[in-house]
Amino acid sequence: MRLRLEKRPSPSQFMLFATPLMAVALTMVIGGFVFTLIGFDGFGAVREIFFTPLMNPLKWQDLAVKATPLVIIAVGLSIGYRANVWNIGAEGQYVLGGLSATGIVLLTQDMSGPWILPLMAVAGIAGGMAWVAVPAWLRTRYKVNEILTTLMLTYVSVNLLNYLVFGPWKSPRAFGQPQTIAFSADQSLPYIIPGTIVQLGAPIAVIIALVAWFVMSRSLFGYQVRTVGAAPYAARHGGFSANQTIWVSLLVGGGLAGLAGMLEAAGPFGRMVPQFPTGYGFTAIIVAFLGRLNPIGILIAGIVLAITFVGGEVAQTTIAFPYPAVGIFQSMMLFFLLAGDVLVRYRVRIGNRASAGDSTSEASA
Amino acid sequence: MSVDLVIAIVITLIGASTPILIAALGELVVEKSGVLNLGVEGMMLCGAVVGFAAAYTTGNPWLGVGAGALAGMLASMIFAFLTLTLSSNQVATGLALTIFGAGFSALFGQPYTGKPLELFRSVFPPDLSMHPILKVIFGYSPLVYFSLIMVVAVWFFLQRTRAGLILRAVGESDISAHSIGYPVIGVRYMAVAFGGAMAGIAGACFPLLLTPQWVERLTSGRGWIALALVVFAAWKPGRLLIGAYLFGLIATMELYAKAAGGVFRVLPSELWASLPYLATIVVLVLFSLRARGSTGAPACLGKPFVPAN
Amino acid sequence: MSDGAPNRLELSGIVKRFPGVLANDRVSFAVRPGQIHALLGENGAGKSTLVKMIYGIMQPDAGEMRWDGEPVTVSNPKAARRLGIGMVFQHFSLFEALTVFENIALGMDASIPARDLESRIRDVMKTYGLTLDPHRQVTTLSVGERQRIEIVRALLLNPRLLIMDEPTSVLTPQEVEQLFVVLRQLAAEGCSILYISHKLHEIKALCDEATILRGGRVVDTCDPKAETSRSMAEKMIGAGLKVISKPAGREKGRERLVVQHLSIPAIGPFGVSLKDISFAVHAGEVFGIAGVAGNGQNALLLALSGEEVAGESDMIVLDDMPIARLKARARRLKGMASVPEERNGHAAVPDFTLADNSVLTARDRIGMVISGLIRPRMATSYTGRVIDTFAVKTTGTKSTAGSLSGGNLQKYIMGREILQNPGVLVVSQPTWGVDAGAAAAIHQAIIDLAEAGSAIVVISQDLDELLSLCDTLAVINEGRLSRPMAVKGADIEEIGLLMGGIHGDPKATETVHVHPENVHAPAP
Repeated sequence: MRLRLEKRPSPSQFMLFATPLMAVALTMVIGGFVFTLIGFDGFGAVREIFFTPLMNPLKWQDLAVKATPLVIIAVGLSIGYRANVWNIGAEGQYVLGGLSATGIVLLTQDMSGPWILPLMAVAGIAGGMAWVAVPAWLRTRYKVNEILTTLMLTYVSVNLLNYLVFGPWKSPRAFGQPQTIAFSADQSLPYIIPGTIVQLGAPIAVIIALVAWFVMSRSLFGYQVRTVGAAPYAARHGGFSANQTIWVSLLVGGGLAGLAGMLEAAGPFGRMVPQFPTGYGFTAIIVAFLGRLNPIGILIAGIVLAITFVGGEVAQTTIAFPYPAVGIFQSMMLFFLLAGDVLVRYRVRIGNRASAGDSTSEASA
Repeated sequence: MSVDLVIAIVITLIGASTPILIAALGELVVEKSGVLNLGVEGMMLCGAVVGFAAAYTTGNPWLGVGAGALAGMLASMIFAFLTLTLSSNQVATGLALTIFGAGFSALFGQPYTGKPLELFRSVFPPDLSMHPILKVIFGYSPLVYFSLIMVVAVWFFLQRTRAGLILRAVGESDISAHSIGYPVIGVRYMAVAFGGAMAGIAGACFPLLLTPQWVERLTSGRGWIALALVVFAAWKPGRLLIGAYLFGLIATMELYAKAAGGVFRVLPSELWASLPYLATIVVLVLFSLRARGSTGAPACLGKPFVPAN
Repeated sequence: MSDGAPNRLELSGIVKRFPGVLANDRVSFAVRPGQIHALLGENGAGKSTLVKMIYGIMQPDAGEMRWDGEPVTVSNPKAARRLGIGMVFQHFSLFEALTVFENIALGMDASIPARDLESRIRDVMKTYGLTLDPHRQVTTLSVGERQRIEIVRALLLNPRLLIMDEPTSVLTPQEVEQLFVVLRQLAAEGCSILYISHKLHEIKALCDEATILRGGRVVDTCDPKAETSRSMAEKMIGAGLKVISKPAGREKGRERLVVQHLSIPAIGPFGVSLKDISFAVHAGEVFGIAGVAGNGQNALLLALSGEEVAGESDMIVLDDMPIARLKARARRLKGMASVPEERNGHAAVPDFTLADNSVLTARDRIGMVISGLIRPRMATSYTGRVIDTFAVKTTGTKSTAGSLSGGNLQKYIMGREILQNPGVLVVSQPTWGVDAGAAAAIHQAIIDLAEAGSAIVVISQDLDELLSLCDTLAVINEGRLSRPMAVKGADIEEIGLLMGGIHGDPKATETVHVHPENVHAPAP
């Protein structure tokens, strides 16, 4: 008895969409089981982490807040991943976006007007783009692997953040706390649903996902990105430039991560602090894969991951379940999804021999 | 510079380099077999937390190293099963392993925050290991000697043994190796397991060699730097040693610079802390400038292999 | 079994299934000791699958294999070698970055001390007249030398059956002759040889018996020396040979493609540089480029298609326009179409639908993109036209390229380019791995396009294909192109020497023999 893979003539569309659901379901079952085995209330944790945030309408606004940066960053990453460009340093570009926006805040301290917020957004996008431009340039000019460079720059960005908030940007009124001044009303995102904590970022995330979906599925640019990723030589044959694709996809990814950073800084944070890098840039990688690199799928996956964040906090207070375990649930989802990928491209058979006449009978198995 | 200072520098930089060297040696063998495991950082974190727990509970640092190796190896088997048996994407799976390791170490490291750890005693008598001059040779943790032995062992294995030749052949052309009858997937499983064990030991080095207490995310990207070093070393163990020590020098430069005084005193510590990462980028660029033509990378690196039965 | 000795190898009722295909259907035949036995069949007939089972790489689903009269199961290549079965692969099973010696050592099942192994290698090389430097890296060797490594590796195990899978497809005619000498010597020493090929004249020249496979079944076992090439071809292909109609006495038109002094440095560590290449192709002309693999064919295709841009702008002239500085897309707009050798991943994206694959190269000339947005309906209707016109067997425009058989995908790709009505078409290995029916259709399409006034360049390693298809022929060797010669009255020996280049006789390129004999006649 052994596992045998049999290549499908073409990838299964059904499995492409079914496997993310299977991954989430398996995570709940096996995750619950494993945590029970090692002495936690595993299934209680699954209930609190995956279901309570959905059942309790009071938590929905938290979901929107958490999902916003995840969706925006993941949409940007997904474009690169489609082109086989592996930006894994979105966290750094997010930090730079936040820092650039904070820079505008400090420059416009005594000013007011509706122009400040858009200017902060532009600065945030530019900051993210600038941070990713280095890996893009090194990749296209010197063929340096972008996986390592984007990640290295993330560590540098955190040091830059610390330098600024502990040093030149520290608020004089902060009693020695490492933080900048608080953003003014004109420097902060407006609330769009009265009585909630949902700010302008949430609808922006939805719009970005929809626009990205349209561009990726209907435009020649989307086609170019998909071709470069699926078959680089074919893309060259079709007259698409690999370097241009790398540049654009990295800049879009960095720009969106920068925008997410600006929206977080001008939204939930309201000032720049050393705790600003919360790991959204890394979790967004899971979101991008769980959403099948499809912007609409990412919208849904972003909410799923937001549920685990909010649910993790719930589980911590209600059943004293340790919060870091959320990270294990999240990575389990990605493991199961990647394991499920095999079902998209292959049929899995058990045993040594193909039995007679089985080639047509199980088209979707 | 005084002799004492030079000796202090050498001892510090070799200590700082050792975990990276061990992890990179493991990854070198993995990559030689044609597999790209980006999860080094995650396996290191698993090895670090399990190694700490074992060393703290038993009071025996050797058991800490063993447990770390085992934890890293088990973590690597998740990767191996997904990428080798289910032929999943190696880049994505490696990232997933890193995210997993971060969560795993955060969860299980929590109870150990602030607990002290028993360290290795020197393997040499105090006359040698505490000697003001000779300690530059005899004054290290056994983990340092282990890393040096492994440099030679990995080189010997790859270049001088039949098993090493087969491993290189599998990484060079999986299809050819399969058609003359070598178990490609089996060889790769073993390579990944070795890489996992080495990464686990490297992770255990952080509490057992560098800072004898639990700090969350204590590896701070060293696993990724190990990956970069393998590229820089053109997949050669000897060059890995040079690269790792060069890195150790840069990573510990703040200490010497501060001692040197002058302009170095006013530079912010964040700049010094960024130096290893910036240096890694520079090193990758230098390598790509030098590597006109062949980089020395195994031809099948990162490509999944599915035999047709 | 007239002499009473048991058959060296005997297969009975071997069956092997793949998803959707019956690759081998109750295959039975026997190989006697010392016999050179041909396994003949066209691409996809099941030859490679069969020998992979004999060598233990794959396992049969049913049937029996006997070795020296005893039933055996060969569970892996090691077991095969233990029995005394050696194999030389079609696509070599070599490790490029390793040395000759390391490659040979990997083929040994026991660890042999380096010095012993080296002296044994030298013995074998001396006995069979095979020369090789054991310490060279494989990447530096020619294709013929690489094959010698495989042969030495197989001979070191003192095989009693040697399987040769399409051994001559990459060799020059002279190298083929050298190989045959070795094989005859081996057979005389009692080693059986299973010789897989679809080249009829080779089989007539070399083999004692031939088993012909078609569609996975044995259709006949015969004595090739008693058959004509045509009778064996009919058995191999079935329902009569399609003869391509090539109207005689076509007029060559104006020059449509002119390449002058094209030189391009090598790309990548294993690339070949192009050195001072010049030729011209006229309207209505099919221009063939022959040569052994790896002599610059890829570089030439990329340089002509615009996937690699280098040199001065007038080095390539298309309909009087200098285009050498233009990129692929711009060249295509001016009427340059190309079909690279590798179908999956270069000419087409395997995971994309056929309609999406049409967008890849036909979007500009057919108008599939308006203001940055793709018009799926245009792509679909054009793809439907390609499928209909070129009889591509597929479930429709939505099937993925990867789901098509090699022949059908090639027909689609050729159709996709041809229906754009290109002024110049450059095509590499048009019928590589394609079944005979599709190959004939593709050849006919090339001729018809030339008839309609296009200029066509065909790059191929298959000399027979070029001789039957082209009007003019040149040979590429180490990035240099020989002077063009008219196919009518060309001398196959000279072509062979040109293909061998400096690996053959260095003076050969200067000496031109003129033989009156027809090149199509099989070797005696």
